[in-house]
Amino acid sequence: MHELSIMRALFEQLEDLARKHGASRVIRLEVEVGAFSNVVPELLQEAFKSFRQIEPLLAQADMDLKKLPLVIECRDCGDRFSPSPVRYRCPLCGSGRTRTVQGEELLLRDVEMEIPDPQPETPSKPKQAATNQEALS
Amino acid sequence: MSSSETRQVKVLDNILKANDYLARRLRRDWTEQGTFVVNLLSSPGSGKTSLLEATLPTLQQRLRVGVLEGDLETERDAERIRAKGIPALQITTGGTCHLESHMIEQAWEQLRREGPFDILFIENVGNLVCPASYDLGEHLRAVLLSVPEGDDKPAKYPKAFRSADACLITKCDLLPHFDFDLDAARRQAQDLRPDMQLFQTSATSGQGLDEWLDFVDVRFREVRSGGAGRESGASAQAATT
Repeated sequence: MHELSIMRALFEQLEDLARKHGASRVIRLEVEVGAFSNVVPELLQEAFKSFRQIEPLLAQADMDLKKLPLVIECRDCGDRFSPSPVRYRCPLCGSGRTRTVQGEELLLRDVEMEIPDPQPETPSKPKQAATNQEALS
Repeated sequence: MSSSETRQVKVLDNILKANDYLARRLRRDWTEQGTFVVNLLSSPGSGKTSLLEATLPTLQQRLRVGVLEGDLETERDAERIRAKGIPALQITTGGTCHLESHMIEQAWEQLRREGPFDILFIENVGNLVCPASYDLGEHLRAVLLSVPEGDDKPAKYPKAFRSADACLITKCDLLPHFDFDLDAARRQAQDLRPDMQLFQTSATSGQGLDEWLDFVDVRFREVRSGGAGRESGASAQAATT
């Protein structure tokens, strides 16, 4: 349900990166979504499409979404397990001393951007996008 | 002639890093000021406001208490708290289904003028899904589960229970009228968070409220004496269990 808010945070990050690198547009981005991140990848992809329609920076961008399964490790016996439903108790020794190894991520991994030449210092799209964003939130 | 270059950048950043960064700053400021902050999460109607109404007048006899109320619309909850003589500010999110740290920062700037406060309660938007993902800078996160909702809520909404330090089973005066298995609820909650503190409460009968307040008091004193409480909100538990 909060995928639009997540997308807004992601977009702000992309805007910052584009500004920093003087990029005119984003071509591709890779995002990792853990199975226990509370984010539905399909809904995030839908939110991304909405942003693509109104944000010129993303007009031709593709988002690769990688889903990561939940992996928990027992601190006592070292067993690693992927429980379904989620359970932070070791199935082998019953210990509750466990930690998440993977699966809670909500990560922007890489971005591919187009940098116009030969003006590397041109700031791309200043704050103009902010109003569009408000409309979506 | 116009040409362009394609650049690939490795980022490896948490998408919610702006929220989390601000939350850490808020927590640090609150710790330094000696304000202990509790974030209450639950479904709509689980009794967050009733819990505050039933407990804050007692707490206020010895500590300075303030409340930030989160809802999509209306001032109602803040009015209920203010009617008890406790400073409260309403955050209306206008449709957003959770509170984020920038909303807290703004509201706190306003509420703190009525301070100083020893304890600040943040009542999150009624929702067991989205608020779990947002660290608000709190020292303690508590999730409420009311008897009429059913004992299977922890299993159905694991993230909220995983991210909480304490769980209050509310409306326990209704236990005789509902098929609610206390042991099952406790087991599911502790399967997600083995060190979860559980409280059986009723704002109507007063059951369990002293135990809850004692627990808040212990945590409050820990933070006052130099402990930092939750380090990174929703993911802090990974390091502590």
